[in-house]
Amino acid sequence: MANGEFRLRVRYGKTDRLRWLSHLEVIHTLERSLRRAELPYAITQGFSPHMKVAFGPALPVGTAGLEEYLEVWLTRYTTAEEALARLVAATPAGLAPQAAVFVGDRDSSLGAALTIAQYQVGIVGKEASAAQVQAALDSVIAEQTLEVVHKGKNKVYDLARCLPEEARVSDTESGSVIALTVRMGPEGSLRPEVLIRAALAAASLDASVATTTRIATLVETEGGWARPM
Amino acid sequence: MTRTDLWNRVEPLLAGVERPARYIDREWGASHCEDAGYAVALIYPDTYEIGQANQAIAILYNALNALDDTAAERAYLPWVDMSSAMREAGVPLFSLESCRPVREFDLVGITVPYELTLTNVLETLDLAQIPLRAADRSDADPLVIGGGPCVYNPEPFAPFFDAILIGEGEEAVTEIVAAHRRAKEAGLSRVETLEALSRVPGVYVPSLYRVLSAEDGSFLGVEPIGSAPARVAKRVVADLDAMRPPVAGIVPFMDVVHDRFGIEVLRGCTRGCRFCQAGMVYRPVRERTADTIVRDVMAGLACSGYDEVSLTSLSTTDHSQLEEVLRRLGKRLEGSGVSVSLPSLRVDAFGVEMARLVSAGGKKSGLTFAPEAGTQRMRDVINKNVTEEDLLGSVQRAFEAGWRRVKLYFMIGLPTETDEDIAGIGRLVSRVLHTAREATPPSARGSIRVAVSVSTFVPKAQTPFQWDAQIPYDEVRRRQGVLRESMPRKGVDLHWHDAEVSFLEGVVARGGREVADVIEAAWRSGAVFDAWTEQFRLQRWLDAFESTGVDPATIANRERSEDEPLPWDHISAAVSPRYLRSERARALAGTTTTDCSFDGCTGCDVCGELGVDIVLGGASRG
Repeated sequence: MANGEFRLRVRYGKTDRLRWLSHLEVIHTLERSLRRAELPYAITQGFSPHMKVAFGPALPVGTAGLEEYLEVWLTRYTTAEEALARLVAATPAGLAPQAAVFVGDRDSSLGAALTIAQYQVGIVGKEASAAQVQAALDSVIAEQTLEVVHKGKNKVYDLARCLPEEARVSDTESGSVIALTVRMGPEGSLRPEVLIRAALAAASLDASVATTTRIATLVETEGGWARPM
Repeated sequence: MTRTDLWNRVEPLLAGVERPARYIDREWGASHCEDAGYAVALIYPDTYEIGQANQAIAILYNALNALDDTAAERAYLPWVDMSSAMREAGVPLFSLESCRPVREFDLVGITVPYELTLTNVLETLDLAQIPLRAADRSDADPLVIGGGPCVYNPEPFAPFFDAILIGEGEEAVTEIVAAHRRAKEAGLSRVETLEALSRVPGVYVPSLYRVLSAEDGSFLGVEPIGSAPARVAKRVVADLDAMRPPVAGIVPFMDVVHDRFGIEVLRGCTRGCRFCQAGMVYRPVRERTADTIVRDVMAGLACSGYDEVSLTSLSTTDHSQLEEVLRRLGKRLEGSGVSVSLPSLRVDAFGVEMARLVSAGGKKSGLTFAPEAGTQRMRDVINKNVTEEDLLGSVQRAFEAGWRRVKLYFMIGLPTETDEDIAGIGRLVSRVLHTAREATPPSARGSIRVAVSVSTFVPKAQTPFQWDAQIPYDEVRRRQGVLRESMPRKGVDLHWHDAEVSFLEGVVARGGREVADVIEAAWRSGAVFDAWTEQFRLQRWLDAFESTGVDPATIANRERSEDEPLPWDHISAAVSPRYLRSERARALAGTTTTDCSFDGCTGCDVCGELGVDIVLGGASRG
């Protein structure tokens, strides 16, 4: 490596009770895991030296993630297998690392590379059947834009850009589940609950979001979408 | 034993509350022994982020979980959004680890960290669905045992507890659990169990004592009923170094206060400041050795993954081996990005030198000094053995070494204080500012900050000033005016404590058992989280004094005669009343007293009374 550092990319989950953590809490917890694992992490230069580490796109409080990513720069080479094993042994189960690989210095950052998020959103209520929810979603998506007031500011989402794939709803025992793919980027990342709540409200359905899980975080390639490792 | 898991009822509430991480458990280091035959809930009666770093709870959690067939779990008081959601959903207070109702535990331990958290104690009990008063509890309820810094006058909260541990808990807690288990096995009644507990040294069982009053209602004393000891003496650990501190503690997910690895490097302080309750009640001084401190810091950092370690105590810069400890840690932690912090500094060259050692090459965030009073006369009265030269010399060294911010702690309302003493605070701060400017290159003078924090003196039980009157809060406000007038106009950030809050602290600090009625009345009218400024309403308390007929001024603002019975006379922190009287006389005469951990014995009687001694890590302090 050019600067003598080794860039390790790690896939982890945010599951079970730990879905109630905020993004900042996830970062602090995993930084402490990296220290407990005694990986030879690099320290940034400067006035307030800290661990050289980067995280993929944030998950809100309450949203689980099955495939989330972080990168840490190491000053000494250790095999990815060994680094992973040490990290697993030092991390609370709900944030358990699943895989680790070294990536090149010139690979784009996680924030820039990860632009596709696939969600599963559980819907419950008296009017939460797949047919009802699908119709509600389709009619909001047909509007092409979604206007949302967030913290006093009006934000307009271009749904054609935000939703690169059709939303599919299927029945479950307690209601339905929506499979939704969202494109993330500097123009803004549409939160699935925002779209779904708008749809349920517009159709006046007696239904609500029960759980949200980001099942995959992906990069866009020429041929389609792929995991970043 | 019933083991209800409430998680399925708790989780649906989380989407509607702030900071759900307070309620989810599963942190690194949390201990899960759900099958144990005996279970203790350790409760800090404030929010998770305030209580999580409490070292006493961490010590007891470790000690109890290490016992056979015993589980210790944590609980905190949910914030107001969560407690109202819980009440609406009929969910009682739960422990974090197994999410069990607190009322299903065998023993519930609640620390009382501060006078104004007592309404939180009632809120905790009520949310747990445990009767507020020991007298109303049945055999089906857990034993509720108190402890912590406020126990040296336990009377204002005595009726809420089945028992209260006076002093250090690491050894006593094992004896309490053993006594309770034996009582359970023998099928003893609640009353018999409490009698058995009262035989454990340091355990005060309030229901075994009655309050004596004269016909006019004046207080005559507290006397034991039956076999309970006439005086309950505090527990103390003779050799702190023999008790390994918790190195594999809980690492929280969320930001908490003191979010770092804390290690207690010494216990007790014998500087002898006459206003300071901690300095009187945590005697004698017991240091850990440099070897164990360095060993446990390295182990604690490895187990926790923290990037900061704090060497805690009442006076860390007094540790006889501090310089060695800091040099060794500096070497071990070089290049790791881990920083070391000291809670407060001695006002002298050594203090600044130690601050330089821990900040080597890194941030110089700010230094804190506590001169406490503005004139030498006043400092001699309170036995704060710091001179103006000490302070200005320390400031000069600190600013020459590159620090640009300093924080100074003072008090107003001290015994014998005059307006001249208060004006002295302003003059001293002016000199500090001047010294700081002189020691700073002209181009950097713009970043100089002097923060001044002024609290109101609250006389505390078991101190030389326990007989003195607290100044009434309208007088506090007048003196705060004098203080503001005396302060330099520019370059100073002045903060002072709320006069009303200090007044209430004073009532609870020296009140008798009758104050329990006031606390309960205040809680019933909605007082909770009184230590949180935005939640505090004085009116609720004024109404509570009115409705219970308790006169707060008689408790807080009246000077007591030295032969008058005091509500805490049956509780002993081992410092003898004779010593307290002599220290009070010396205070009024403006005579100072030395520190026995540096010089000879000053006759406080603690070592003889408890059969313990000063323990230093190195050969001597200097």
